[in-house]
Amino acid sequence: MTIDNDSDFKTALDELSRAGQRLVAARFVENVLALNQDAKVTTAVNAAKRTDITEDELAAAVQSAKKASVDSFTQCGHECDWGKQAGHFVAEAALACIKPAEPRGNAAWDAAMHARMARTCKSIAAGVGTDNDEAAAQYGILAEFMNK
Amino acid sequence: MSASLEKGINVLKEVIDAPIASYFNSCVHCGLCAEACLFYTETGDPKYTPIHKLEPLRRVYRQEYTLLGRLAKLFGLSKPVTDEELEEWKPLVYDSCTMCGRCSLVCPVGNDIVYMVRKLREGMAVSGHAPDGLVGASTRAVEIGSPMGVRLPAVQAQMKHVHAETGIEIPLDVVGVEYMVLMSSMEIINFPEYLSAIARIMKQAGKSWTLCSDAFEATNSGIQIGVSDIAKVLVQRIVDGAEKLKVKTVISPECGHAYTALRWEGPNLIGRPYTFEVLHILEVLDGFRSQGLIKTQGFEEARLTFHDPCQLVRRGGVFEQPRNLLKMVAKDFVEMDDSGKMNWCCGGGGGVSAIEEAVPLRLQAFKIKKAQLEATGAKTLVTACANCRIVIEEGLEHYQMNIPVVGVTETLASHLVEGE
Repeated sequence: MTIDNDSDFKTALDELSRAGQRLVAARFVENVLALNQDAKVTTAVNAAKRTDITEDELAAAVQSAKKASVDSFTQCGHECDWGKQAGHFVAEAALACIKPAEPRGNAAWDAAMHARMARTCKSIAAGVGTDNDEAAAQYGILAEFMNK
Repeated sequence: MSASLEKGINVLKEVIDAPIASYFNSCVHCGLCAEACLFYTETGDPKYTPIHKLEPLRRVYRQEYTLLGRLAKLFGLSKPVTDEELEEWKPLVYDSCTMCGRCSLVCPVGNDIVYMVRKLREGMAVSGHAPDGLVGASTRAVEIGSPMGVRLPAVQAQMKHVHAETGIEIPLDVVGVEYMVLMSSMEIINFPEYLSAIARIMKQAGKSWTLCSDAFEATNSGIQIGVSDIAKVLVQRIVDGAEKLKVKTVISPECGHAYTALRWEGPNLIGRPYTFEVLHILEVLDGFRSQGLIKTQGFEEARLTFHDPCQLVRRGGVFEQPRNLLKMVAKDFVEMDDSGKMNWCCGGGGGVSAIEEAVPLRLQAFKIKKAQLEATGAKTLVTACANCRIVIEEGLEHYQMNIPVVGVTETLASHLVEGE
């Protein structure tokens, strides 16, 4: 299976089960995990990958990822550090993986979008414009996941 | 007297107008403004009484514009305002005043205390006693176009992101459309879901709109720091953009003070009426609702409550609109005690969230919001100001309360009937 556009990407993600969405969401986050140094985010991603996780463990992981997200917001009026802001979006992506499912939501899509924002922020921080290959990388990750 | 202090005192003399003179003369020292201020109620410290925060301004008024005050000054019987005093007052005028307007609302003689704080900040800023955080934000706003240092490429990156997410091309610099949409830097940096929601709602409503590359930023740190010249430059930038694009309406985003700055203070700052209308996004969306242009499906399952941003509800009268919109998507909506025009501030308005030194006090003041929220049993908090949103998220995190905070526009957009 080959995916090369967002329409096919979203359709494929919608066809996954909730468990499948969570697993592939975790892979999207892992692809940008180096942009965040907070151990709580890594813990959240590891939680998303576990199929035997209990409700209590999941709730604790959500709390932890939420804290990582709030801790890394850029406050109103403060100068944005795009490198740190990349870390914030990684935390948001990790949170999307594990937070309770919303009726019309798709955890993997949400995680993918946050991961792309993270990569864009990092590109701005590096002064290399805003173009990057994160979307293409996600197409590849999903295709590999579905072909297994 | 230092040169900067002299300039500051001169500014204070200039800003004292007839309303300020009558306010000082009318104050009956009842203390009701103290009970209305979250920094007083949550600390119990009388120094946070709003009218007390104006003491340097009151002294300049007495010494310059009253007979007894002038005589006292002449004979050395009254203390001059000094740099040391203004520095001591800085935390009272900036860190512990969100300009929320609750004190003005309860004053039995109708003193607009916020108006006076705003004027006192003019003198504080000129004399070099404004907080570094606000000085930095104002400098970036003038030099870069955003208090948080956002430049156009970052906006364009978000436009591309939203296009990928929604399939909707985000219009930029389109002449002759109905609406010019402004954003706050907070929405560009932290909340890409806002632009996405706008794009989807505008599409469903069949409305033409655009962003403006010269004026995408709505916030006005000139108002927060108290420098009218900066506030004017930032308003003029938006006016120039709107007139260049010949739009009918400029939409102020989910931001409190941006709305006040642009809609109420803007025409006075630039010295003429606008050639376009200014509306808050909630006013626009509620207009769409009343015209039947928004079609939603499903309801939020969790109990919702709404935090009224001070500048919208107290200074702008935007009360019914968010409630009308939330009724479309929420079955279990509950009001907080003191909601609407008496709502308690999040604690971070008026530039307070940009002041690093103010964080401990802000978190202490948040206890009032915490109590309000706990009383509702709400599982989700909706608001319409990106600054309120982050300040509340931080407060909830500090007090370990697990309540998601979302914006009205994105909440509405998440229930749109799409793809038909």
